[in-house]
Amino acid sequence: MKLDEKLVTYFESCNSPVDKQGYLYKKGEIKTSYQKRWCVLKGNLLFYKESASDRDLTGVIVLEGCTVQLCESEEQFAFSLVWSEPGLRTYKFAADDQASQESWIKALLSANHGYLSLLLMDLEKKYRDALAAFPRETAKPFTMPNFGATGTDFSAAYRSRQLSTLPSNKAPAAAGAAAASALSNSATLHALSYPTRPTVKSSPKQLPRRNINAVPLNIPDMPMGEWSSFCVNAEDDFSKLHEDFGKEVKELIARWSRQKRDGRVVQEEDLIDFG
Amino acid sequence: MRFNEKELVFLSRQPSEMAAELGMKGHKKGDVIKRRLVKLVVNFLFYFRTDEEEPMGALLLEQCRVDREDRQSFSITFLDEAERKYLFECDSEEQCREWMDSIIKASYEFMRKNLIFYRTEIHRLTGKDPLEQYGISDETRFQVSNGLQMTSGETSSL
Repeated sequence: MKLDEKLVTYFESCNSPVDKQGYLYKKGEIKTSYQKRWCVLKGNLLFYKESASDRDLTGVIVLEGCTVQLCESEEQFAFSLVWSEPGLRTYKFAADDQASQESWIKALLSANHGYLSLLLMDLEKKYRDALAAFPRETAKPFTMPNFGATGTDFSAAYRSRQLSTLPSNKAPAAAGAAAASALSNSATLHALSYPTRPTVKSSPKQLPRRNINAVPLNIPDMPMGEWSSFCVNAEDDFSKLHEDFGKEVKELIARWSRQKRDGRVVQEEDLIDFG
Repeated sequence: MRFNEKELVFLSRQPSEMAAELGMKGHKKGDVIKRRLVKLVVNFLFYFRTDEEEPMGALLLEQCRVDREDRQSFSITFLDEAERKYLFECDSEEQCREWMDSIIKASYEFMRKNLIFYRTEIHRLTGKDPLEQYGISDETRFQVSNGLQMTSGETSSL
């Protein structure tokens, strides 16, 4: 399969916001030693290169369909990205300290597309509820702060006449409310991936004109489509998901700390590692 | 540049609402329109030769622009380069609109902008920051001012 690599490398180097970056030790794909790598997390892509100043990317990992696990290894503060499908490799990393390890685990857990998509649905519902609760509040025409005004970045890319404003009743593919995957007592943190679609009841509803002035993008001639409100229980789903994530992280860190104290070694699951 | 190809192929097999046979023309000179099974999964656009299991290719849908070309076709322009443009022919106006819509909404940039918008508006209307209850209000990716890439040092947003 051919991946248009130029698009990927461009995405890494462009001015779009970085979600997290820093040095991590990454277990080699051919050699088994851990190598220090500058890692940059943007969206669901984890880029890595030899150093922060390097312009060439060594590689990228697409963070969809994987879980994040603590793992015991020769290195302290280790964690791994694990795919459940047989034949898919495990990526092992180690951080410099526990704070960094926790921070990276949290970031990688919530990097997948479904998580953000679910959060978006949740906020969209809250927004509509807020508008309904404060009918006299005229939504002023909202101008998105024009960050990235240098021109060659994403703000320029979005000056398309055809852009829609806000999510319509068709949720993006593969996104949707997650049934937060059955979170067991196991030591794995399940990244939200491939969520099942919620049963969405959509009823096209035309909102009063004044509210439609609130646009997220600073584009004056936007075609204002019908606003479809859908009665999905996004809030419950994301709240639960978030709670579960938080619990899992705490449990995981606590378990790990206990085991370190007791001097026990965590047995990793046997995974086919094609190296 | 290394990438986890097997995982990407695995991703391409996930269920998707947006999967259809469309006419597709690559960005290189001399490329002609071919029927391909096009499938949108998260922020990737996969395309397959019809009846093949493994995708021919994958396009990352970030930093791109979607334009209507004519009634039934649209294009995706990448890297802000007029030459790097892929053309897609749909079977109907409705289908064309659906695809354009879905592709636009697939990117993290789109999601982030909307999240920030909703967050700001909800706060303005209710006085409450909706991200606070989730404990994620400090994450850099949800900050209004966050439009430029971090320059140096480890970010400790989480």
